[in-house]
Amino acid sequence: MSADTAVNTANEVMENGTPVSTERFLTFSSDGLNIGVSTNYVIEIITNHTITMVPLVPDYVKGIINLRGQIIPIIDIRLRMGKPSIEYTSSTCIIVLNINAISIGIIVDAVQQVMDIDQSKISPVPVENQQELINGMISSSDRSVILFLDCEQLVQSY
Amino acid sequence: MDNMLEMYLYETNTLMEQLDELLIEAEKNEAFTTNDVNEIFRIMHTIKGSSAMMEFSTLMEIAHHIEDLFFYIRENGMDSLDESHKSDLFNLMFQSTDALRVEVEKIENDEPLSTNIDQIITNINSFLEKISSSGNSSSDAQTEKADASSAAPVADAQAIAVINQELAGCPASSMPYFIRIHFEQGSGMENLRAFMTITALKEIDLQFEHYPEDVETNSETSEAIIDHGFYIALSSADDVEKAVQIIKMQNSIETYEVIENATVKAAEASSPAPAAAPAPSAAPADTAAAPAADTASAASPAKQAAPAASASHNSAPVKQSLISVNLSKLDSLVAIVGEIVITESMVTSSPDLQNLKLDNFMKSARQLRKLTDDLQDIAMSLRMVPLSGTFQKMNRIVRDMKKKLNKDVRLTLVGENTEVDKTVVDSIGDPIMHIVRNSMDHGVETTAEERIAAGKDPQAEIILSAAHTGSEVIISISDDGQGMDPEKILAKAERNGILTKPASDYSKKEILSLLMLPGFSTNEEVTEFSGRGVGMDVVKKNVEAVGGTISITSELGKGSCTTLKIPLTMAITDGMEVSVGNSMFTIPIANIRQSFKPQKEEVILDASGNEIIKCLDAFYPIIRIHELYNIETEVTNIEDGILIWVETADKSYCLFVDELLGEQQVVVKPLSSFLSNFNIKNSGIGGCTILGDGNISLILDIGNLYAATQGLY
Repeated sequence: MSADTAVNTANEVMENGTPVSTERFLTFSSDGLNIGVSTNYVIEIITNHTITMVPLVPDYVKGIINLRGQIIPIIDIRLRMGKPSIEYTSSTCIIVLNINAISIGIIVDAVQQVMDIDQSKISPVPVENQQELINGMISSSDRSVILFLDCEQLVQSY
Repeated sequence: MDNMLEMYLYETNTLMEQLDELLIEAEKNEAFTTNDVNEIFRIMHTIKGSSAMMEFSTLMEIAHHIEDLFFYIRENGMDSLDESHKSDLFNLMFQSTDALRVEVEKIENDEPLSTNIDQIITNINSFLEKISSSGNSSSDAQTEKADASSAAPVADAQAIAVINQELAGCPASSMPYFIRIHFEQGSGMENLRAFMTITALKEIDLQFEHYPEDVETNSETSEAIIDHGFYIALSSADDVEKAVQIIKMQNSIETYEVIENATVKAAEASSPAPAAAPAPSAAPADTAAAPAADTASAASPAKQAAPAASASHNSAPVKQSLISVNLSKLDSLVAIVGEIVITESMVTSSPDLQNLKLDNFMKSARQLRKLTDDLQDIAMSLRMVPLSGTFQKMNRIVRDMKKKLNKDVRLTLVGENTEVDKTVVDSIGDPIMHIVRNSMDHGVETTAEERIAAGKDPQAEIILSAAHTGSEVIISISDDGQGMDPEKILAKAERNGILTKPASDYSKKEILSLLMLPGFSTNEEVTEFSGRGVGMDVVKKNVEAVGGTISITSELGKGSCTTLKIPLTMAITDGMEVSVGNSMFTIPIANIRQSFKPQKEEVILDASGNEIIKCLDAFYPIIRIHELYNIETEVTNIEDGILIWVETADKSYCLFVDELLGEQQVVVKPLSSFLSNFNIKNSGIGGCTILGDGNISLILDIGNLYAATQGLY
């Protein structure tokens, strides 16, 4: 991802004169969907980490990694949403999130950009239960739709 | 200010604990010794002073009045109190210390101190009045009695004492007291050391004589001092005490003893003439005449001197160099040491070094390894504290309940110096207290008659013991009370609807473990101490929180025993690295009995196709990790891999793995709480660790691993 784009996008929104309650989101793609996650949760983005598998867990839990001495569990967001898995490529990366003091890494197809989004414009998902893990959506300036990841649900116990 | 408050609380709490111990001990002996009185006086004085400084006037007032009370007792001696006063005094002291403790707790919780302490102060004052009015009359009688009793046997005793004193080589002197000092062996220049002692004594204006007399100028006196010791003669018991204080502070003094000058006493007793006529010539004659008495009594001066010496040791606090450190600092120290241990092996087993011949490097690396091991041991030992604090608190609980329930019980502590991790000590205090209360309340028979009828000692005994066994501490609380009736327990459990299978299917062990289920309390009535329904289930939860286990055994009519097994510390363990496919696992060394290459013929199949192998005349199941965890590996033939025979408390079996990678110390890291959602603990993974090369190895929990296989089959 390019940091420049991210900053530019943010500035554009600011210039459009919307000082209302905006929140900064990191967007990534997974199985053709654009998904956003609040930057409040994002710690860092890493690539090429060796994942140690953990036995007897659901298939979407890929294992754990050692991030500078910290043990972080990794889940594949594709598998988590019930989509087929694909081979990991060079653009595949892990977004490390900290949700309510729980660190977790999610494997995504590619990271896109950081953008400011007016929270009042986020609309709820029309059909309940169809897309679990998604708690809102918005159509962005270039007509594409961004879904918002429900981080709390991601780490909830089952 | 906060720091001062912290110091104050720490100091006061320590003093209160000392005081509690002292009171319990004294109550057992039914009297305060002079040392106890001095000690209580000192403690109260300190509390008074520091409370005044911190402006906690309530505490200061209470301490002040207790101090007054003990000032009186110190002046008049414990003997001035009669029996009823003594027991009153103990009750009063316990009340007062409780009052102090309540106030200290209020300070800790940042609550305002109570202003109404008149009750306790009046109690103390009226008691003081009572003893001071009766004390005057009785003390006279007492002294008379003492005189009378001492007069008769005194002659014989003194004759013997004279002999002994001669044997000890005491110089002749008119002074009634001697202190004999022995310097440390091989310290050299004993005469000068003696002279330094003399100078120190002169500084506090003491009147004394010393032998040999010419230590300052005559270096040959050294030999005499080595052989016989250095004598200081003093005129009164008070002086002796002062001198002992000084002597204690001197360097290189090995022992000292206080000896009463028997010749002077003898002279006083036998003739009213001034004590200027000691009997050195008579003494040797006595010795010859009574060689038998000699040997018999030889032990007595030692005995006499020993308590004197040890008593004076107690009176002044033993100078301990202790500092109190914030626990969080220790935690971070332990964490860093853990990282150092990892990094050390990361450096020494770096792949860059492979295939290089580096003799000097390896030598230094070994040295480093040894040092980091030492460092780690020390870091871990810093967090270790003896259980005695927790155990001593039980004394008080037993005492209070003894009074309330009117049961005669003695508490015996065994192995109270056993050390465990600080966090463990903190979390097992409540469980132990609960179990002791249960034993007092339900375990011990209600009346002494019942005990006598059952052919037992009327005084019941509760034994609280602790012992190390390798990686665990075993704490057991046993009583010799009435024991538990399995039938009753079962019936009660049935009534409470907590049985999960027909009552007849329960074994005795299972019945006893019913006690630890939520909502079970054997006592029909709720008492002040136990039986509120929150019982053993809470205890079990607390013990399990620190990774321990709890078990109960009981024999109807003979008593019960509750055993807690607590791991010493979980932070760092020795582990064996093994590989299965691409995964690495760590098996705690403590669980491994043996590893071996099996032969195909040795493996036996049972009816359902499970593999079994015979080790040392017993059969054990084989668990293939790659099958259990669905790991792809090329090693599936039993002869290609290796079997590791493991065991835990009650299970023993063999694990099949690809190969052994080596032994390593590992820092146990908990798996993320996210993974606990998937019950990862129950699948036999106890945690994970980071290896030298940065890879992660999963630590196997041998007990749960077996349970996991049972779930699968």
